Amino acid sequence: MTVINAKAKDLKTISSKLKESLNEDPIEVKNASHLHGLVAGLKHGEVIIQGNAGDYFGVLNAGATIRVTGDVGNYTADNMTSGTIIVEGNAGYGAGQYCYDGTVIIYGDAGDFTATMNKGATIIVVGNVGDETGTYMLDGDLIVVGDAGENFANFLIRGNVYIGGKWNSLGHNTRVEELTHEDIEKLSGYFQTYDIKADPAEFTKIVAASEKPFYK
Amino acid sequence: MTVVGAFCVSVNREVCINSRMPGKCATCAEVCPHGVYALDAYTGEMRIRNYNACVGCRICAEFCPEDAIRINPAESEYLSRYPWTLATVEEIHYKAQTGEYLLRGFGTQQPTPHFDTITVVPSQIASPEPRDKYREECDLEVVIGEGTCEKPLHLKLPFVWPAMSFGALSKEAKMALAIGAAQTGIATNTGEGGLVDEEMWLARGYLDKDFTKKEWEPGGYLIIQWSTGRWGVSTDYVNSGDAVEVKIGQGAKPGMGGHLLGTKVTEEIARVRGIPVGSDALSPCRYYDVQTLEDMKHMVDFLRDVTNYQFPILFKLGPSRPYDDVAACIELGADAISIDGLVGGTGCSPDIVTQGVGIPTIACLPPAVQALKDSGVHRKVKLIALGGIRNGLDAFKAMAMGADAVGFGSAAEIAMGCRVCYACQKGNCPYGITSQKPEMRARLDPIEVGQRLANFIHACAEEVKILTMLSGHNGISELSTEDLRAMDMTTAALTGLKLAGYDRPLSFWEEGYKPVAVKANDN
Repeated sequence: MTVINAKAKDLKTISSKLKESLNEDPIEVKNASHLHGLVAGLKHGEVIIQGNAGDYFGVLNAGATIRVTGDVGNYTADNMTSGTIIVEGNAGYGAGQYCYDGTVIIYGDAGDFTATMNKGATIIVVGNVGDETGTYMLDGDLIVVGDAGENFANFLIRGNVYIGGKWNSLGHNTRVEELTHEDIEKLSGYFQTYDIKADPAEFTKIVAASEKPFYK
Repeated sequence: MTVVGAFCVSVNREVCINSRMPGKCATCAEVCPHGVYALDAYTGEMRIRNYNACVGCRICAEFCPEDAIRINPAESEYLSRYPWTLATVEEIHYKAQTGEYLLRGFGTQQPTPHFDTITVVPSQIASPEPRDKYREECDLEVVIGEGTCEKPLHLKLPFVWPAMSFGALSKEAKMALAIGAAQTGIATNTGEGGLVDEEMWLARGYLDKDFTKKEWEPGGYLIIQWSTGRWGVSTDYVNSGDAVEVKIGQGAKPGMGGHLLGTKVTEEIARVRGIPVGSDALSPCRYYDVQTLEDMKHMVDFLRDVTNYQFPILFKLGPSRPYDDVAACIELGADAISIDGLVGGTGCSPDIVTQGVGIPTIACLPPAVQALKDSGVHRKVKLIALGGIRNGLDAFKAMAMGADAVGFGSAAEIAMGCRVCYACQKGNCPYGITSQKPEMRARLDPIEVGQRLANFIHACAEEVKILTMLSGHNGISELSTEDLRAMDMTTAALTGLKLAGYDRPLSFWEEGYKPVAVKANDN
């Protein structure tokens, strides 16, 4: 395992080191909490961040598997096109925005605007989420095991939103639907893979009321 | 339904094929973007069904096989009914019937203060003396990103194609723009709708994706747009060009995101954009992943990081508060800033936004230039003027006002064959520019149209050269506002240029542009 100590180093140094040693074993990065835009745009490889990471963590990820043992800042996994990002702690606001594909798992809580404009990724938050979660989702799955704040799934266009807990208020253009057998299978598959203790049957599914809510 | 124009159609029934043989020809009805003509389903006769809808684009006249159609401006009684003009009456009727607001394409129809009331000051016997256009050199090259990134853009001519997305434009039109850029050494832009693969090699002057057959010299550049909708954006996309442009806004609809109606989302566009076929692609008005200027700074940082610190970062602004906006972009580390004026075009926008939002292009430039000067980076961080630039004269005026380069957006569409029917959003463009229908697209040959675009750029470059040299300069970087005079009070007041004859700026402009620290939210 290659270990990179990021203490007092800038983004350019760290990212060139990361890209150099990408083909080797998993890379471990330490003391990187001061860096924003860490591990951006990697196409393959495995990276473990020990401790916390800053904003835009794993942005434009295109195939790497990245795990962070602490908390992350805002906009985690922004515009990811493939790969997996695992956050063992909490995330700030805007985690999993604009993602095309791949998986984001946050074991702690996530802030407001989580999974905004998600275009096909699977975003799982084991804790609670803040307000405006899932705003303008265009595709993909959002799974919240805990509770949600205000305006949940606001202006949902396509895709599925599953929630295990309660929400304060639902956003525009949303409809609560019965869980199908496939939904339950899908959820239990995820829960098994990522070791989440929850009962899929107790989840609520939210879908878009209309595909074209803007033009009346 | 669109805005009505003050034009009337007259058909010469003696030569019209349909009048002689009903049902035999319906070309005018097929090509008209606004439904002025209609065929009678029983008799096959062509009728002028919607007399008032004509906007005067003359597409029908061009396509008419017998040259039977004439379009004339309507009688002055229609135009003198202000404010209750025919257009307003029709618009209100439309809204009353449908409950919908109007959408429109292309750009504003509103009379707007523009470059026409500015004149160029030539050199005579007093210094500087004029340069000889036919025998002396003139430096038109512009470099974007010198000293800040590893691969700066060396534009051979001070022009760019502004961002026009794949989706708004057809694939063939995007390819033609790339070919035009390759032949002239300028930059084309992907727009926010993702990348047409062919653009990658065509823009650099190559015919194949392995970059082995170079067809066009000197080869241009490809600017990748990073926008609020983030359609088709990935690491590969960001790395496939020569520069990254961060779109903040655009002239035709500042403060709104891009609009692409579902009617234009074909299978290929759906694939590139990553959305289902036929669904609307409405970009958000701002970045969901930027809440503060600090966030935007981090965004620029990671864009530089993902592109290995090779490419310049450009910003594109709509016409809002140019001084504050440009100052913010400089703070964010922009290598170039495009500022788009009210006259800027679009594929689709709410009518009122295109017509009445933003400030004119000529009024955008003085505050923007002052912001660059106050930061000490004028002519280092490049300013690109967009919005209604029609020819070398407009380009020269914009550059003398402080821009380093200009973009031809609407003019490029017209160079491709467009006749300005203001209906880009419908996707029925008979020239295949803003249509996604295979039969329309087949009419646009990218190589032929690419040549037309290159010709247009060369002609404009010659015009800029003439004006630069007759005003006594060796290159466009020497131009200044001293080379221009305003010909009326409005223009002098909007731009701070010296009034022709009076040779001084208006009194309130004497100390130049003074930034006003008023924010929109202040009460």
